[in-house]
Amino acid sequence: MAHYTPPVQGKMGQLIDVIVLVVLTVGALFVPLWMGLAGSSKTVATPVENPTWETLGQNPVQAAQYEALGYDPAGAHDLILARFDYSFSVSAVLIMVVVIVVYYALMLKFSESEYRDVIAEKFDSK
Amino acid sequence: MAQTNIGSKTMDGMGPKGTKVGLLRVLGPAHVWALGVGIVLVGEYMGWNFAVGKGGAYAALIACWFAGILYTCVAMIDSEVTSTVAAAGGQYTQAKHIVGPLMAFNVGLYLVFAYTMLEAGNAITAGYLVSVVAGMSGHEGALDQRPFIILVIMSLAWLNYRGVLATLTFNLIITAIAFVAILVLFVATTGIVGASIMQHGALMEGAAALPYGWIGILAAMHFGLWFYLGIEGTTQAAEEVRSPARALPFGTLAGIMTLLIAATLTWYVCVGVLPWEFLGDGVNGSVAPLFDTARLSGSTGLVWLLGIGTLFATLASANGCINDASRAWFSMGRDKYLPGWFGAVHPTYRTPYRAIIFLVPIALIFALGAPLDQVITFSILSGLLGYTFMPLNIIMFRRKWPLNSIKRGYEHPFHPVPAIVLLSLCAITFFAVFLGYGTQLVAMIGFYIVVSLWFHFWRYRFVSRGAQFTMPWPKPKGY
Amino acid sequence: MQTWNYLEYAAWGLSALFGLAMLVDWFRTDTTYSEDVLTSSREGELEAMTEEHKV
Repeated sequence: MAHYTPPVQGKMGQLIDVIVLVVLTVGALFVPLWMGLAGSSKTVATPVENPTWETLGQNPVQAAQYEALGYDPAGAHDLILARFDYSFSVSAVLIMVVVIVVYYALMLKFSESEYRDVIAEKFDSK
Repeated sequence: MAQTNIGSKTMDGMGPKGTKVGLLRVLGPAHVWALGVGIVLVGEYMGWNFAVGKGGAYAALIACWFAGILYTCVAMIDSEVTSTVAAAGGQYTQAKHIVGPLMAFNVGLYLVFAYTMLEAGNAITAGYLVSVVAGMSGHEGALDQRPFIILVIMSLAWLNYRGVLATLTFNLIITAIAFVAILVLFVATTGIVGASIMQHGALMEGAAALPYGWIGILAAMHFGLWFYLGIEGTTQAAEEVRSPARALPFGTLAGIMTLLIAATLTWYVCVGVLPWEFLGDGVNGSVAPLFDTARLSGSTGLVWLLGIGTLFATLASANGCINDASRAWFSMGRDKYLPGWFGAVHPTYRTPYRAIIFLVPIALIFALGAPLDQVITFSILSGLLGYTFMPLNIIMFRRKWPLNSIKRGYEHPFHPVPAIVLLSLCAITFFAVFLGYGTQLVAMIGFYIVVSLWFHFWRYRFVSRGAQFTMPWPKPKGY
Repeated sequence: MQTWNYLEYAAWGLSALFGLAMLVDWFRTDTTYSEDVLTSSREGELEAMTEEHKV
């Protein structure tokens, strides 16, 4: 394979590439945050009126630990009752599986073609 | 070439390929241990308890051990490859030589992301800790945490800038103190010395045992990784270790053993004292579980010890993260995967100083702008993508260069069992992340797909082809 | 308590100092040495010198 000589990148080009990367990076983190999609916030499904340790389902030992930590039943109400919602649809799982598999497959495919060039230039052009 | 003594003062870090200023080779196995454990140990002090929130206390223990298996596989595979491919950049350089350039670019970004996010998470925790101390000492009103968060990142970046030996020696000391603090807490609260305050039975009875049922165990795997996340960073030190083929496997495997012990002790102590709902909510409940456990022990000495331990663990971790992220960024710059400007080494301090400086504002953006569990999830996701790459990596490595074709510093046993186990555990963890954080998962992979296209169709033109393959290996089989 | 307010200022000040120290040194280094020297580091120097990778 012919020897490939990469072009030299100027200062401006380097700067632009860095900016593109930073924008993408910050975007990946903050777009879900801004769209309010981030995190599955836990929710309290069935609130308890005038909670006591008993109605919150806490045994005496647990209640004592909460009190030692400085909570009263009303203050600990949300903390104790909030739960994740783990219900999910099969189609959502399938989408996730497809996304991950496609991602790795694409990457291996592109990598392989680039890798063949590398090996060819490294070992055959001598 | 035979006369070149790389250990000598004049030739150190310089070499036949034209390096005039290279990274300094000064580290020993203890530093490797400190780098690996230092990054991770903070996971015992904060963050792992989200696993309790996702599945309850038993689920967290099961997740802790399964994640332990996952990381043992990671450490074994990593030790073999890196004892052979010893260069800064770690898994990035491995991917470049074994899988291909695009994979390498992605792996490099995983590393930078995982570490920079973790660094941000550490700074957030350190800031929180300072505010707690302020509150306990009678400060009224809310303390502004921002200056302390910034101070953590700035001072550690400065330390990293000034040289790797001081950085990792500092890490060795504070990591050791933080580890000893966990041991002391365990000994002092479980009845080995003095009275036991453990109440596992009562705290984990009835609905508190497995509050989400079996799916909770799966879900807990997500944050189970946090017990060990970052141990693979030991490989980043490859170019600065005096004898990589020996020190890296030794430091890494000693590190994973330390962490298995620390993780189990931490779980045992915390769930025996803190109710699971409080323990499992790392935002509104227990931000620093070991510290909270010490508070309930009633001993002022323990409170101080674990407070200092928590602070040291966050500092050690942030410190190691700056070290690792900048090495990865630097090596990508050196190969022109990123602008070549980043591939510079400081002539006096011999550190990748431009990469270190560049990553400071990035870490600050995340530390000041995003909530903790979000930052942790992004760190875990990047890590997880990296672990999924490792089994592919080792399988291709063994296929392209079978055992007798090149000299390996360490050969891991039972191949391909660790690779298969690791791949299955990664699949489970992807599902665990999906339960509750599916959006981030898709956003993250979307990001990597976009940057991959950007790399393949634009950036790769600046990379020289054959020259990036730097290992003196024979041609791979099948090419 | 006043102490913590002072500590806040101290933290701001120290952060600025560390940042400045790095920036100044960065500028001095970049203007003293040529880009060729600074970016001369190459991967795989160690292997080239010590390992033959022949069994």
